[in-house]
Amino acid sequence: MNRFFLFFACLLLAPAALAQPMGDLLVRGATVLTVTNGTLDNTDILVRDGKITRIGQGLSAPTGVRVLDASGMYVMPGIIDAHSHIAVDGPVNELTTPISAEVRIEDVVDPYDLGLYRALAGGVTTSHLMHGSGNPIGGQNETVKHRYGLTDPDAIRFAGAPRTIKFALGENPTRVHGEGNNVPPSSRMGVEAVIRNAFHEAQQYRAAKQQYEQDRQRNRRATPPPYDLRMETLVDVLEGEILVHCHSYRADEILMLMEVFRDFGIEHLTFQHVNEGFKVAPELAAFGAGASVFSDWWAYKFEVYYSTAYNAAILTRNGVVASINSDSGELNRHLYHEAAKSQKYGDLSDDEALALITINPAKQLGIDARVGSIEVGKDADLAIFNAHPLSIYTIPQYTVVDGIVRFDRASDPDDMRLQIDPDADIETAVIWTGEDHHRCLEGAFVFE
Amino acid sequence: MPTRSLAGAVLLLALLAVPGWAQTSDVPTVTRTVALENARIVPAPGQVIENGTLVMRDGLIVAVGPNVTVPTDAERIDASGMTLYAGFIDGLSHAGVPEPKSSRPQKPRYPGDPPNDRAGIQPERDVRTMLDPDDGSIEALRKQGFTVAQVVPHGRMFPGAAAVVLLGGETAADMVLKGDAGLFVQFASAQGVYPNTPMGMMAKFRQLYGEAERRRRMRNRYTENPDGLSRPPYDPVHAAFFPVQTRQRPVLYYTEDALETYQAMRLQSELNFPLVLAGVNQAYDSMTRLQATETPVFLTLDLPEASDDSTGTYDPARRTRTHADREEEKANLEARQQASRERYYGQAAQLHEAGIAFGFTTKETKPGDLHAHLRRYIEHGLPENAALAALTIRPAEILGLSRTLGTLAVGKIANVVVADGPLFDEDTQIRHVFVDGRQYDYSDSSSPKSADEADEPAQAVGTWAFTVASLQADVSGTLTLTGTPDALSGTITNPLDPEVTDLKEATLNGNRLTLKFDAKDYGTVTVKVQISGDRFEGTYEVPGRGTFPISGTRDD
Repeated sequence: MNRFFLFFACLLLAPAALAQPMGDLLVRGATVLTVTNGTLDNTDILVRDGKITRIGQGLSAPTGVRVLDASGMYVMPGIIDAHSHIAVDGPVNELTTPISAEVRIEDVVDPYDLGLYRALAGGVTTSHLMHGSGNPIGGQNETVKHRYGLTDPDAIRFAGAPRTIKFALGENPTRVHGEGNNVPPSSRMGVEAVIRNAFHEAQQYRAAKQQYEQDRQRNRRATPPPYDLRMETLVDVLEGEILVHCHSYRADEILMLMEVFRDFGIEHLTFQHVNEGFKVAPELAAFGAGASVFSDWWAYKFEVYYSTAYNAAILTRNGVVASINSDSGELNRHLYHEAAKSQKYGDLSDDEALALITINPAKQLGIDARVGSIEVGKDADLAIFNAHPLSIYTIPQYTVVDGIVRFDRASDPDDMRLQIDPDADIETAVIWTGEDHHRCLEGAFVFE
Repeated sequence: MPTRSLAGAVLLLALLAVPGWAQTSDVPTVTRTVALENARIVPAPGQVIENGTLVMRDGLIVAVGPNVTVPTDAERIDASGMTLYAGFIDGLSHAGVPEPKSSRPQKPRYPGDPPNDRAGIQPERDVRTMLDPDDGSIEALRKQGFTVAQVVPHGRMFPGAAAVVLLGGETAADMVLKGDAGLFVQFASAQGVYPNTPMGMMAKFRQLYGEAERRRRMRNRYTENPDGLSRPPYDPVHAAFFPVQTRQRPVLYYTEDALETYQAMRLQSELNFPLVLAGVNQAYDSMTRLQATETPVFLTLDLPEASDDSTGTYDPARRTRTHADREEEKANLEARQQASRERYYGQAAQLHEAGIAFGFTTKETKPGDLHAHLRRYIEHGLPENAALAALTIRPAEILGLSRTLGTLAVGKIANVVVADGPLFDEDTQIRHVFVDGRQYDYSDSSSPKSADEADEPAQAVGTWAFTVASLQADVSGTLTLTGTPDALSGTITNPLDPEVTDLKEATLNGNRLTLKFDAKDYGTVTVKVQISGDRFEGTYEVPGRGTFPISGTRDD
């Protein structure tokens, strides 16, 4: 694919009216946890037009720039949740088909979702909104920033973030398709076969297109092959245009997928959940695969019993880029506690623990040049706490996205909804969406 | 008695103006020329003729103005005290399209690859083949002043092609003004098969569109010169996209909220097809895009119900510290909900101020609520002239039918609303509607019975003298009902046929009596009345001719 062309295509698609507002800000006198460059005491951060422009002491605010007195507070990079299902309009699974590569969460981003604000209250500034885990090859995901308050779906996109896609191994796809619909896959072997077949088919599709392009040079009336959006997407996966994020638990199938990807020459791979990752950490590191895990959440189905709270630490010590995600509209409000738990069990350094929820997920999502650490030139996405974020006593005070304060604990009114149902009972103002638990198998007819 | 009935029959027949009647009767053919005299006429929004005359002949407006010479063959109707408006146009509905019986959908062998009809992918269907001129939805809309509607099939994602139809006519073919008017799409998933989600529907749209592009190119190439080319594949589903891709007709997308509107416009900006939106609720959050793309809109008339609960002012900064303050919190939430309703009510005014061309859709709105909801838009800032424009000239423009519809002008189709006052006044009633020059009369229903009264069981047995009213004259007949409330039978002497006729059907539901009988050349007449003591009131419907007020009293 021609990246240059794609870039211009995207420019054309972006409506002229769309604005992603950027802010100016001076954060003064904080303990700055840069994650990539150590801890800076009594330090100021100057933000212009949404970017960090200076980090130092005694910075002065240009005229009109808001000053946030953060003395005694701790500033860390905005937390990045590499696995989320909030802010999606409609079911997160297109469960009707084992391969649904053509569907895009991008199309159904829901900026009204209060979950975006609730996550902001836990310091989260970027979330990876994923298709569910019902299909061996699911749909494409979307990376968004928590610019809560804006109602145009395009306004909360992480512009420039790479495309990603959801794969899934194990019990979910076999249960949905094999047991539920009596179509492949019915077994872990079947999952591998479905994925391999799909890649083979994509290779054939690509070959047919290339043949047509050649034929067309000689014969302008050559017949083009049928258009298939699903195959177009899988060709982009084969060519490394789309990063793969794969739902997985067991070590055997994690090894299986790496073999499949080697066979097809696909490099960009991050495993999600990956509870048995600790068993194959060296293999993951050798492949260069990422691992996005829970700190200590398991035993919610048979394949997730063999788990350990040392997982994140073992992966880290083996050189795997590891992150901790939420997969939940509740857990995403305290990812800093989750990082602290991994530190407690695995004896990680502060920076290693914080990296699990900042620069590492940024790497897994291909956005580490923009976010994930506090550095000059990066997006001013900041989470500000009254105590060290790895302390059990810490409370988030401010969350800043692109230099704009989107959460302020001192100014956190009752009703932060953006959309009010004009007909609902007042009692439903207390929203229980069900997104508070994970939505991986939402829409499936079986117990999660 | 027989003499009186016969005289009445002749009078009513004259009013009914039956085409083709002359072939089957000795009574001379009556004119299809009607003059509405001494009326206040609003030919177009912002224009008024205080005392004028409008003449229709053979379904067209032939004269409008203060000084019109009425042709000698015209039926003259004194419309003093009445105001005439151009007939309203409904931008999108299912009027005249009976809803198919729903059956539990079968699960196909491969839910990921269902047959197109199971998946609701049926863009090749044509609503013209589904029209029923006797469907009650037509009368219900017409009674509210709607004379034309863009109608679409029932279905799921791609139900079929739209058509613009007159809300009146004897046959489906009579009704059609414009076929193949748009490719109708809505976010209605395939219920358990692909595409089952909004994102699946978006992907399916792109897939169909992309493959249709390929097939269209191949077809064009083959049409130019088939020499040495394999015959291009054809199927009606992909072919239904061709006229959209050549910009000969629009995609007509129904969206229920701001996110769906965004999603439809997202597809439009990627694929660049002509788009008309309908529904578009929460338009206040779609305004920037609608304005930037100049997308025409048929705005919903489905509005949230008003509530008297909240009178307070919303305090956005409120923090409730303790459960003891719960009542105050509740009041604040109610105030916010009221503010949210106001946003819906204000969306028409916003479209108007943004300069977006819009009409209305009656889909999802009870016909009886249409005028109340129009008034609500007006109360929240939509100028009356803009509201009238959105009922008449704007939809005519959007549908490409301005030359024949939208104003009371010479040469246009005779679609006229006769109201007994200014259109948007709460007390105003629509008294008569002309569709294609055909007259439909509506009684004064200014003192509706309360719901409790209405549902009280009534006694129907007896002999009733009744009167059917039309614009010029009243005609009478006799109804005799016997039997028990559960098993009624009887006879009727009626204005259309002076002979005593047996009732085909007589049912009593509470106080609601429904009668059907065959009236020779006129088909099956339906009488629906509500009985209150020894009186009844209701409607007398002659198929394809019109509906007339009927009232009666019990003789014995």
